Amino acid sequence: MMQTEYSKEKKVGEGTYAVVYVGTKYSTNRKVAIKEIKTSGFKDGLDMSAIREVKYLQEMNHVNVIELIDVFMAQNNLNLVLEFLPADLEMIIKDSSILFTNADIKSWLLMTLRGVHHCHRNFILHRDLKPNNLLLAPDGQLKLADFGLARNMGSPQEILTSNVVTRWYRAPELLFGAKHYTGAIDMWSVGVIFAELMLRIPYLPGKDDIDQIDVTFRALGTPTDRDWPEISTFSTYNKIQFYPPPSRDELRRRFAAATENALDLMCGMLTMNPHKRWDPTKCLTSEFFVELPEPTVPEELPKLNNK
Amino acid sequence: MASQNFQTAILLSRPYLTREQIKRAQQNTIADRRIYNQKRISVFKFLCDICVQFKFPRKTLETAMYFYQRYYVFNKFETEMCYDVATSCLFIACKQVETIKKVADLCAVSLRLRSIVKVSPEMLDNCKKRIFQLELHILETCCFDYRVNNTVHIDEFIVKIGKELSLNYKACHLAWLIAFDALKLEILLMVPQHTIAIAALKIACELSDDTEWPNVRYTLFESDEPSVNEAYFDIVNFFINVFDLSDLKDNLPQGFRKLSIETFMDLKRKAGEEKGLKEPENVATDAYLTKERDYTVRERRYVLSRKRINDENRPTVRPAKKDRIE
Repeated sequence: MMQTEYSKEKKVGEGTYAVVYVGTKYSTNRKVAIKEIKTSGFKDGLDMSAIREVKYLQEMNHVNVIELIDVFMAQNNLNLVLEFLPADLEMIIKDSSILFTNADIKSWLLMTLRGVHHCHRNFILHRDLKPNNLLLAPDGQLKLADFGLARNMGSPQEILTSNVVTRWYRAPELLFGAKHYTGAIDMWSVGVIFAELMLRIPYLPGKDDIDQIDVTFRALGTPTDRDWPEISTFSTYNKIQFYPPPSRDELRRRFAAATENALDLMCGMLTMNPHKRWDPTKCLTSEFFVELPEPTVPEELPKLNNK
Repeated sequence: MASQNFQTAILLSRPYLTREQIKRAQQNTIADRRIYNQKRISVFKFLCDICVQFKFPRKTLETAMYFYQRYYVFNKFETEMCYDVATSCLFIACKQVETIKKVADLCAVSLRLRSIVKVSPEMLDNCKKRIFQLELHILETCCFDYRVNNTVHIDEFIVKIGKELSLNYKACHLAWLIAFDALKLEILLMVPQHTIAIAALKIACELSDDTEWPNVRYTLFESDEPSVNEAYFDIVNFFINVFDLSDLKDNLPQGFRKLSIETFMDLKRKAGEEKGLKEPENVATDAYLTKERDYTVRERRYVLSRKRINDENRPTVRPAKKDRIE
């Protein structure tokens, strides 16, 4: 009997729409992750998440975006072969035995922004950026993963759903239920992730969707129509509590180890008005990445201890 | 071919084929061309009706027609199945262009439009099952190639290119109407949508008294002369052959000059010799077209770039013999 190209060796996870295996690509002996898409018993056929994952990963090839190595059918199941990436940023943040420096944070943030920049220049919104979806390769490279919610930047009149992005990382325009939005929603998520890397705990942990609005504006101030003129067009705007924005000193207290440039960058990404929020290019060329310390080279970044 | 012995096969996606290539592949799948063509027109009408019911944009219909026609390039055409295939194609198209609808809703309308008066829950269930079974099969036929039908759609590009070339509203409107008829044609399988948009705009300009088709290089719009010509002649020939059955005939914008078969014959005469895509020499021997797909292979891999196949052809750590169809 002839050999197949892929083997599935160990089940490592199971989601709502897929079972994930660790396996091997025989011709190159490369370790891979194989997502077997569940098709039977599904209400609406092939899951949209699987479709989006194939659709957008086929378009991209970048060191900071997970690689879709292959797509194959085995019997009647669709399988996606992805890079095997054993760790994610959430694990690192939560593991209190791991110490990391400002240079390490800078390195992870840099790789995240490069990945997001690549998505956006291909007109792709990720729509679910969070530490858990930033995977880490054995060589230290960080890669954007889980494109199950991704989509094209719509045409101007196209209606998009605001029910995207995991709650804690959701931009204010989404909290208000915006039907039109841009890559700025991803940038907000990156800003929250940046804060989380510095604090080692989630920055804006809302208990539910209503609470998220309160938590977000209590921490960062309620936007006004002076800095975001369109804000009053959102119907829920008038019902929310007003909080003043934090002073610079207050931010310095919250992020004791952050430099002025780090705070500038974070505030740039956490700007309420999506039109004024910093885009990937502005972030990547910011002073933060010019000042010392230099970002840690990926190979030398902290890794999970037990691996 | 004893391909059952092979456990793995790798297939390159070739989302666009030439006219001769399509014909060659259809020799295996379509027994009676006339019946197939008749059905294609009624399936198109059927899909239109569903799209109207759900208020889908034109790109959903366009994508469904691509899937439908592509499916029968590589799978046997049977009249009994074609409405289910079409419904399934529309279901996939909805997901592809993000105009998602529940399968139950699609099935209900699909059955109703086929004049089935009383739809029992059992019938609905069976319809859903068939749609799901076909879904993966259709996608597999298209090699899971999501590069096509993803962001480029004819109607949107008529507007974009028309604007870029500063064509007037009337000409663009006419092109938009012409392009609707183009959705019924096999040209969808031959050239990408923006190229069809250029051809429709060119025809519209030539039919307008007050707009001249600018002498542009098609490379400006990531297309080329042979592809645009292929689309141009395919559309013009359609109107010459079946103008009376076209949707254009009944939907001409007000204040527009009357069109007839003669108008299009005139256009063709002026266009000179019919040119299009160059036909490759190996059509008769190209296994991609001549050999029926083998779905019994245990691991069927689909790749988008020839480089990937070539890379794997190089000696590797552990050479595995594969059944390659390129």
